[in-house]
Amino acid sequence: MSTVTNERLFIPQTLREALDLLAEDSAITPIAGGTWLMRAPLRGEPLPGRCLAIGAIDELAGVQIEEATVTIGAGVSHAALARAVDGVPDLRGLGQAAMKSANPAIREVATVGGNLATGGFPAADLVPALLAMDAEVIVAHRDREERVPMTRFLEREPRVPPGSLLTGVRVARRRQSSGHARLTMRTAGDYAVAIVSLCLGLQEGGTITEARVAVGSVEPTPRRWTELEQALAGSRADAATAAQAADSLVAGFNGRDGVEAPGWYRTRVLPTLVRRAFEAALPRTA
Amino acid sequence: MTAPVIGSDLPRRDAEDKLRGRTRYAMDSGRPGMLHAALRRADQPAARIRRLDVTAARRMPGVRAVVTAADAPGRYGIAVADHPLFAIDTIRYNGEPVAAVAAETLEQARAAADAILLELEPLPANLTMAESLASGAREIHPDWRDYQELVAGGSRGGNVAWEATVIRGDTDAAFARDDVTVVESEFVAGRQNQAPLEPRACVATYEDGRFVIETSTQVPWAVRNATANLLGVNVADVRVTAPAVGGGFGLKFEMALEPFAALLARASGRPVKLVNRREEEMLTALCRENADIRIRSAVSRDGEIVAREATVLMDCGAYGGEQPFLTTMTAHTLGANYRLGAVRLVSRAVYTNTAPTGAFRACNGAYNTFALERHTDEICAAIGMDPVEFRRRNVVGDGSMGATGQIFEGDVLGPMLERMETLRAGAAGGLPAGDRRLFGRATVVGTWFVFVGPSAATVNINPDGSVTLVTAGVEIGSGSMMQALPQIVSHSLGVPPESVVVRAADTDSAGFDIGVGGGRTTVSLGAASTAACDDARRKLLEVAADLLETAPEDLVLEDGHVGIVGVPDQRISIAQVAAHAQLVTGPISGSGSFTGRGTGSLPGCAAGHMIEALDIPIFTVHECDVAVDADTGHVQILAYRVVQDVGRAINPRAIHGQIQGGVAQGLGYALHEEVTIGADGCIRQRGLETYRLPLAQDVVPVQAELFEGAPSIGPLGAKGAGEIPILNVAAAVACAVANATGKRVRQIPLTPPRVLGLITGMEPQPNLSHVGSSWRDNVLDDPDELLARSPVHDTATPS
Amino acid sequence: MPLEINVNGEARAVQGDPMTPLLTVLREEMHLTGAKLSCGEGFCGACTVLLDGTPAMSCLMPVGLVGERAVLTIEGLAPAGSELVPVQKAMLDNDAVQCGMCFPGMVLTLSALLQQNDSPSEDMIREALVGNICRCTGYERIVAAALEASRATVADAQEVSR
Ligand SMILES: Cc1cc2nc3c(=O)[nH]c(=O)nc-3n(C[C@H](O)[C@H](O)[C@H](O)COP(=O)(O)OP(=O)(O)OC[C@H]3O[C@@H](n4cnc5c(N)ncnc54)[C@H](O)[C@@H]3O)c2cc1C
Ligand code: FES
Ligand code: FES
Repeated sequence: MSTVTNERLFIPQTLREALDLLAEDSAITPIAGGTWLMRAPLRGEPLPGRCLAIGAIDELAGVQIEEATVTIGAGVSHAALARAVDGVPDLRGLGQAAMKSANPAIREVATVGGNLATGGFPAADLVPALLAMDAEVIVAHRDREERVPMTRFLEREPRVPPGSLLTGVRVARRRQSSGHARLTMRTAGDYAVAIVSLCLGLQEGGTITEARVAVGSVEPTPRRWTELEQALAGSRADAATAAQAADSLVAGFNGRDGVEAPGWYRTRVLPTLVRRAFEAALPRTA
Repeated sequence: MTAPVIGSDLPRRDAEDKLRGRTRYAMDSGRPGMLHAALRRADQPAARIRRLDVTAARRMPGVRAVVTAADAPGRYGIAVADHPLFAIDTIRYNGEPVAAVAAETLEQARAAADAILLELEPLPANLTMAESLASGAREIHPDWRDYQELVAGGSRGGNVAWEATVIRGDTDAAFARDDVTVVESEFVAGRQNQAPLEPRACVATYEDGRFVIETSTQVPWAVRNATANLLGVNVADVRVTAPAVGGGFGLKFEMALEPFAALLARASGRPVKLVNRREEEMLTALCRENADIRIRSAVSRDGEIVAREATVLMDCGAYGGEQPFLTTMTAHTLGANYRLGAVRLVSRAVYTNTAPTGAFRACNGAYNTFALERHTDEICAAIGMDPVEFRRRNVVGDGSMGATGQIFEGDVLGPMLERMETLRAGAAGGLPAGDRRLFGRATVVGTWFVFVGPSAATVNINPDGSVTLVTAGVEIGSGSMMQALPQIVSHSLGVPPESVVVRAADTDSAGFDIGVGGGRTTVSLGAASTAACDDARRKLLEVAADLLETAPEDLVLEDGHVGIVGVPDQRISIAQVAAHAQLVTGPISGSGSFTGRGTGSLPGCAAGHMIEALDIPIFTVHECDVAVDADTGHVQILAYRVVQDVGRAINPRAIHGQIQGGVAQGLGYALHEEVTIGADGCIRQRGLETYRLPLAQDVVPVQAELFEGAPSIGPLGAKGAGEIPILNVAAAVACAVANATGKRVRQIPLTPPRVLGLITGMEPQPNLSHVGSSWRDNVLDDPDELLARSPVHDTATPS
Repeated sequence: MPLEINVNGEARAVQGDPMTPLLTVLREEMHLTGAKLSCGEGFCGACTVLLDGTPAMSCLMPVGLVGERAVLTIEGLAPAGSELVPVQKAMLDNDAVQCGMCFPGMVLTLSALLQQNDSPSEDMIREALVGNICRCTGYERIVAAALEASRATVADAQEVSR
C-alpha cells in the first residue's frame, strides 16, 4: 500500500505501484532527494503540484556489484554510491565523482536518479562519470523497460518521459582504470566549472587499448570527447602526454559563459583536467 | 587580589545560548497575531512608473495591508536626502521596492506582492560609472539640485553624488621635475556582499501611537531617525530595539526594512514581520562599492615620494547612502601609510542604475589599500628598490604629516615592520620540490582609524552589587558588548565582570549612539561607559565614605568591595553601599558620554570631508605567502601573518578572533567573492551557490601579533580592533600574486579565470578611460579655482 | 492522515503540506528556531539537523520525506538542563562563538562527525564543514574546538576502558 500523505505527496512502496501512479496521473512528478527539485522556486519555477517519492521503493535502493556488471539503483545517494564502490578498482572514477560532488550533507540525500534525470544541469558530476563508463540507463514504464545508452539518454528531452521512472543504471565491468577530475573555484563545495571523467583500458605494458573520455560542465550538456579518445588509443598511458594531446584538441569545445566562469576558461583548463583525471585513474603504485 | 581584568580573556556570556540554539535573533521573533510581509520590487534598472495598481492585491486571500510611496513621501540619506522609501515615479535600480504587503502567511503576502500591477516604461540605464560619467549621460537624479543637503561642503553635480578633494602642495611642479620617476597605475575593485548569515529582518508593532521596532541592526538610533523622517512622524514616536544580531559587517549600518514593517503595522493594527530572502539580500545588499582608481606618483631616485595624485571613483548605485561620507576615507587610506610631498586627491561617489552600495568593514580602505600597495610595488619595480626597504624608509612615523596635514604621533609602522620580520622567521620561502606552482610573498602596510563619534552610557549600581550598563550598543558578534565593555566597567568599578549586565539596545532607555561599526564600540561606548562609571563611582565613594567614616579620597574599589587604602581588613561590599545609598541618597547611577575630539586638517586642505583628520589612527602590517597554479589560475594561501596596532589589548583572545575572521573575509574579497552586474542591471550572483564565501578549506590559520603601546585617546589606551583585520588582505594577496606571476595585478577579486587570464594575457586590462590621468580632469569645479581657494602650504618636502 | 514525525525523541504531528521544508515546520510550527533559514539552497548549513544521526539540510527536505527517521535539532542535542556536549564545551572554551548564527549547524555537523570517527584529522574536519558557512570567525577556533573535543572524547573512552 502506498502511503498517501495527502494529495500532494505519494510514497509508493513498490515499483509496480509507482508505475501505476505515474501512468494514471500525468501531472505527478518523481522526487528523490529533493535537492534539485526543492530549489525550483529559486529558479523561478513553481514546485510541482503532486510528487511521487521514490525513497521507499526497495527495487531502487541498492548497488549490486556482480562479476560482469554493476547495477546502481536510482534511489542510491551520492554518499551511498561512494561507499559501495569504495575499493572497486574499475569504478574508482565513479566513486570520486560521487564523493567529491556538492557537500557532505547534500551527498547523503541527492540521488543518482536525480542527478541523471535533471535536464538543464550541465555541472552534474555523475553524468560524465557514467558517460565515461559507457553506462546504460534503465527507464521503466508501466508495461516495459528501456535500456538507454548514456549518450542517447542525454539527447532525450525530457530524459525520462512522463509516465516513466528512471530505476537505475548498469555498468558493464571491464579491466579498466577510471578517474574523475573536477575543477571548482573554491577548494570544494561548489559546482564544478569543468569536469573530465575517463576510463582507460590498459595493456600490460601500459599502452591504452581503449579510452573513453567524458567532459562535463563545459558545454550545456556533458558529452564524450571522441577526438581525444581516438588520439589516446594506442598511446602510452601517461598524464603529461594525454594533457598535450588534449591541448591540441580543445578547439572542438564551445564553452558556455556562466556566472561562475566564462566559456574560454572552461575549455582552457581541460588539458589540465585531463592530466588530473589520468593521475586520479592511475595513482602511482609506490 | 584577583587578576587584572584588562588584558584577560574573559569568556562571552552569550556563547552558551548561541551554542544551544536558544538565542533569538530578529529573524526568529514571533508575536501573537503577527502578519508576514513581502516587498514588490521593480525588475528593471531604469524606468518611469506608468502604472502601479494594488487593488487586486488588496483583495487577495489573507491580505491585511498594502502600502506604497503614497504612505511614505519623505526622502532620506546620510549627506544628501536623495532616497525615497518606495520608488516615486522613477525606478533607479533593479530590485527597488514599489509596494509592501502584509498578510496572514508569508505565501499569501508573496502572492499578493506578485499580483500588484506594475507597468514600467524603460529609460536608458547607466550600469557603470563610465556610462554615468560619459558626456551626455542621462542624469539619474535630474532633481539633484533640489535635494536637501544634510551635510554641507561636498561638490555635487550630474551623476556625481558627492566629491571630496584634498589639495596640499603643488603637485604640478613636482611632476615637472626632471629628477623624478613618474609611476602611474590603474585599479579596479569589485563589489563585496557582507552576507551575514542572518538576513536583514525586523518585527514592527504600532502601540499607543508609537512605532515599536525590533530589528537586526547595528544602528538603532539611525534607524529611529530615518524611519521617523520617512514616515513623517516625530522621532520620539519611534522606538527601536535590537536583540543579538546575526552578523552585520556594515550591511546593517543603515536603515533597511524597518519603515516598511512600521507602515504595515500601523495600517493593519497587527505586528508585522519582514525578513529578506537570501536572493533579496544578494540583489539589494549595501555591498562594499566597486571602485575605479588611478594613482600617479613622482618618486625621487632614493625613493622619496615627492608628489602624488589620485582619483577614486566609488559606485554608490542609485542612491548616495553612505558613499558621500565614505569619500572622506580616500584621504586617510589611499593618502596614507607613506610620507608624501605634495598631494592632490579626488574621491567621488558616482550614481549608477544599480543597487545602492554601503559600508562594509574597512569601507573604502580595503580597495584603496589594495591600490596603494600595488602601486607602491610598481614604484619599487620602477626605481629598483626592495619593497620592504621602500616601506621601511617611507612609512609615516612620529611627526610625519598625513595627506590632509595632520601630524602623526609616535613611530608605529616602522617598529611593526620589524616585528613582522621576527614573525616571518622560520617560514618556508618557497614551495616544496616537485610543486610546479608559482610562489609569491608580499608585505604590505595599512592605515585605518577608529570612527569615534557620539555615544552615551548609563550605569546603575544595584543593591545586590551587580551593575547594569545601559547603552544603545548592539552585540553584532564581535563580542565587544559581551567582553570589552563589561571588562571596562569591571575595571572602573572594581566589580567582577560577571556581575556586569549589559542591557540590549533600546532607544527608549539608552542615549544617542551613532552605531556599532567602524571599530568604535570599545572606544566610544567604552569611553562613555568609563565616564558613566566615574560618575557612579564618585557617588558610591561618597556614600561609602559616610559608612566607613573616612574621606572618599582614601577609598578604593576592588573585588566588589570598597576598602580603605592601607587598611586591608576594613572594607564593605559594594552591595552594602548600594543598598545603603538607596535609603539615604536614592539609588546610585552614573551617566557619561563621549565624542571624538575632531582633529582638524591643515586649513583649506580638505574639501567635502566629513572626517578631516584621524583622532585615532590604527596601523597594520600584513604578509602572505601564496602558490599560484599557472594551469588553472587558482591561488592558494600558504601562510598569513599579521602585526596589528591595538593600542592596548583589553581582551587579547577576542582580538585574535577578530583578526582571524577579518582575514577570512578579506580572503573572500581578494579571491572568490565576485559580484557582477548583468545587462538587466541585476546582480548576477543571486545566492550562495554563485556568491562564493570562503569555506573551512579555503582559510588558513593567521599568525597574529598584537602591537601595544601606540598612542590612543581611547579608554585605557585601547583602539578598535574589529574592522582593520580586513583592510590589507586584498593588498597582501594581490601583491603576492603579482610577485608570483610577474604580472601587474590591477583588478580584484583574483578569481581563477582572472588569474589565468592575467598569466596568459587573455584578461583584458581594466579600461579607465573615463578617469583622466591628471587630477585636474576629475573635478567638478574649475581646478584652478579650487587651487586658488586652497591656501598655499609649504609642505612639498616630506618630513 | 496527518503526518507525524519524531523530533528530539518525541512524536509530533505536522499540520501543513508534506512538501513544506522540514525547516519551516521546525521553526514556524514547533518554534524550534535553533536551525536557521539563511540561504534556502543547501549551501550554508545554517539549517542543519540530524536525521538518524546524519547531517541534513532541512531547508531542502520536504517534511513528508522524513518518514520514520529521528530528527535531532540543536535544541535536542543538549536539552535544557543538561550539560553541553563535548563539541559545544570545546567551542565555549575556545571562545569560538561570534554572531552565533552558524553554530547550531556547526555543532550538529561536528558532533555527527565525532560520533562516526572519534579522532578525525584536521583535514577531515575541514572537509566535513564544506557545507557549513561561518561568515564571522574564519573557522580556526571551530576546527580547533572539534580537535579538542575529539581528544577529550578519546581520553574519556580510554578512561572508561581502563
Ligand atoms: C548545495 C548543493 C550542491 C550541489 N553540488 C552538486 C555537485 O557538485 N555535483 C552534482 O552533480 N550535483 C550537485 N548538486 C545538484 C543536485 O541537486 C544533485 O546532484 C542531484 O542531481 C539531485 O538529486 P536528488 O535526488 O536530490 O533529485 P531531486 O531533486 O529529487 O530530483 C531532481 C529531478 O530529477 C527527477 N527525478 C529524480 N529521481 C528520478 C527518477 N528516479 N526517475 C525520474 N525522474 C527523477 C525529479 O523529478 C526532478 O526533476 C548540488 C545540490 C546542492 C543543493
Ligand atoms: S539554509 Fe539550508 S543550507 Fe542554507
Ligand atoms: S559566528 Fe557568525 S556565522 Fe559563524
